Amino acid sequence: MDEIGITAEPVDDQRCKFVVSRPLYTAGVRRFSSIEDAQGSPLAENLFAIEGVREVIVSANLVTVVKVNPAPWQVVGRAVGAAIRSALASEREPVAVKADVAGAADDDALYQRVAQVFESRVNPMVAGHGGRVDLIDVQDATVLLRMAGGCQGCGMADVTLRQGIEQILRQTVPEVRGIVDVTDHSSGENPYFASSKK
Amino acid sequence: MARPRLLLLLPTTTYRAAAFVEAARRLDLDLTVASDHASVFAAVEPTALMALDFARPERAATEVLSFAAEHPVAAVVGVDDDTAVLAAAIAEALGLRHNSVPATIAARDKHRQRVLLIEAGLPVPPFALHSVTDDPELPARDAPYPCVLKPLRLSASRGVIRADTPEEFVAAFRRIARILEEPDAAACGEPARRILVESFVPGAEVALEGLLDDGRLRVLALFDKPDLLDGPFFEETIYVTPSRLPAAVQRAIMRCTERAARALGLERGPIHAELRTNARGPWVIEVAARPIGGRCGQVLRFGEGEGAISLEELLLRHALGLPVASFERERAASAVMMIPTPRAGRLSELRGVDDARAVPGVDAVAITAHRGQQLVPLPEGSRYLGFIFAHADAPEAATRALHAAHAKLDIVIT
Repeated sequence: MDEIGITAEPVDDQRCKFVVSRPLYTAGVRRFSSIEDAQGSPLAENLFAIEGVREVIVSANLVTVVKVNPAPWQVVGRAVGAAIRSALASEREPVAVKADVAGAADDDALYQRVAQVFESRVNPMVAGHGGRVDLIDVQDATVLLRMAGGCQGCGMADVTLRQGIEQILRQTVPEVRGIVDVTDHSSGENPYFASSKK
Repeated sequence: MARPRLLLLLPTTTYRAAAFVEAARRLDLDLTVASDHASVFAAVEPTALMALDFARPERAATEVLSFAAEHPVAAVVGVDDDTAVLAAAIAEALGLRHNSVPATIAARDKHRQRVLLIEAGLPVPPFALHSVTDDPELPARDAPYPCVLKPLRLSASRGVIRADTPEEFVAAFRRIARILEEPDAAACGEPARRILVESFVPGAEVALEGLLDDGRLRVLALFDKPDLLDGPFFEETIYVTPSRLPAAVQRAIMRCTERAARALGLERGPIHAELRTNARGPWVIEVAARPIGGRCGQVLRFGEGEGAISLEELLLRHALGLPVASFERERAASAVMMIPTPRAGRLSELRGVDDARAVPGVDAVAITAHRGQQLVPLPEGSRYLGFIFAHADAPEAATRALHAAHAKLDIVIT
C-alpha cells in the first residue's frame, strides 16, 4: 500500500488544516463538535481522543482540527497524523456518511440560502477586487467557505470575512452560527492588498 | 448592556489585520474597521467598515465624530506609526483618553524624536539632518564615522545604511534618496525629503515591547536580537525573549525607555522601543507608539494555559478598560524569525515549509510573500518573506529551533 502523505497547514494556534494524500470523505463535508458526534467515524473518534481537540471538519482529503490546548501544532500534529493513519488502516470507512437527521435537512436549506447570498451579493462585490468566495458547505449551521482570486492571501481577507461577509450573513441568514475560512492563504498568487512593512 | 464599539484603524497593507480582528472577535465587540481604501462591503456595512483619509488626520477625525454621534465609540486603536497619529487625532476629537497628537508625531519622526530625547538628557548618538537635495560630498567630510544614514519615517530598517568612509557615505546617501522616491515612501511628504545621519552605536541591540499607563511603563517583553547588527544593512531576523542580558542592564533599559517615552509625551498604550546597550549603558535608537511590527506579535502570549491571551487581545482590553487577567508573558521562552530575503528576484517556489514546521520547538511557519512576488532585500525591500515562530524552555533553544527550521527552507528565486 502507498505511503500516506499528510501535510499540516496551521491557520492559527487553535486551528490547523491537514491535507492527506488519500480521500477521507467523499460525500461532502462532515463536522464533528463532540465525542458523541464522532461515534461511528473512526477518524473523528481517534482525533477526539487527542487532548484538547474540540472540533473536526472533514471534506474530501482535508481535515481541519480545532483545539483549545496551548500545545503547539508541531506537537499536536504528530498525534493527528497518527490518528489519520490509524483511521485509514481501519477496515471501516474513516468517516461515516452523515445521517439524514433534521439538522442535516436544515443545513441543506441553509446551504441553498447562503449560496444565493453568495451569488447575488457577496461575489458581485468581491469581484470588484478580483476576488471570489466559494461556499464549501454548511455544517450544523456553520458556513465553510474558501476565498480565491484577489481575496486569497489578501492582507485584508479577515476584514472582508468578518466585517463584510459575516455581517451580511447575519442579516440575511440569521440562522448561521459561524463561518470557517478554509482558504490556504499562503497559496494566493494575486492578493488585492499585499502587506508591507510599516 | 450595549457592547463597546472599537474603532480599529487598519492600513490595507498591514500584516496585523487578522490578529487584531480575531482579538476583537474574541472580545465580542462592536467593531468598526477603518482603512485607507474602501472595502468592497463598505457601502452595505457602513457601521462595520469605513474608509478614512489616513493622510489627513483632522479630516478623518471630523468624519469619525459624525459617525460616533450615531454609533458611540469607546476606544480608537491604531496599529502602526501612521495610525497611531490618526488614532490620537480621532481620540482627541471624541474626547477619549489617548496619547496626544504631538507625542505620536514625535514618536513617528526619527529627527523630532532625537531632538526631544536630547533635550531630556537621554543617551542618543550625535545626529544631523540633511535634505535629499543636498550635495552629500559636503556632509560626508564631517560625518562621525562609523555612522548610520536613515530615512525619517520608514520602518523595519528599510533604507538604513552604515557608512565607514566618505565614499560609503555618499553612496548610501544617494541610495536612500532613491528609496525615498519610491511611491510609498514619497507619500510621506516632506519627511521623505530628509535623511538623518547619526553615529553608529556599537553593542547589543534589544527591542522592548511595553504598555504605558499614565506614563508608567509596564514591560510586556524584552527581546534580545542575537544576530550581529553592525551593518552595512540592518536586517533584523530574530527576536527572542526573555532577554539573557544581566538583570541590572535590563532594569537600565526599562528606565531609559520609560524616560524616553515621557520625553516624547507618550502616556498611554503600546510602545515598541529599540535600544542598544554597551559599556556606557543603554542608548535609545527609537521609541514607537505602536506594538511590534509584522506578524511578530504572534510570538507573545500572556498568562498560562487555556486562559492565555494574545498581545492584540491584551492591547484591546487595555484600550477599552476591560480587565486583563495577567500582563505576565508565559513562562516559556519564545522567538520569532523574520525570514530574510536572500536576494532580489521573483519568488518562484518555497519548498521545505512542512519540514520547517516539523522542527521540534517550532510552532508555526507563516509565509506572507506570494508566489510570483518580486522579492527585494534590504535596504530597499518593504515586505517580509514570512515568519517562523518557536517556543522552548530556554531562549537559546528557541533560537536554535528557528535556525534549524530556516535551514529546511528552500527559497527558489528566479
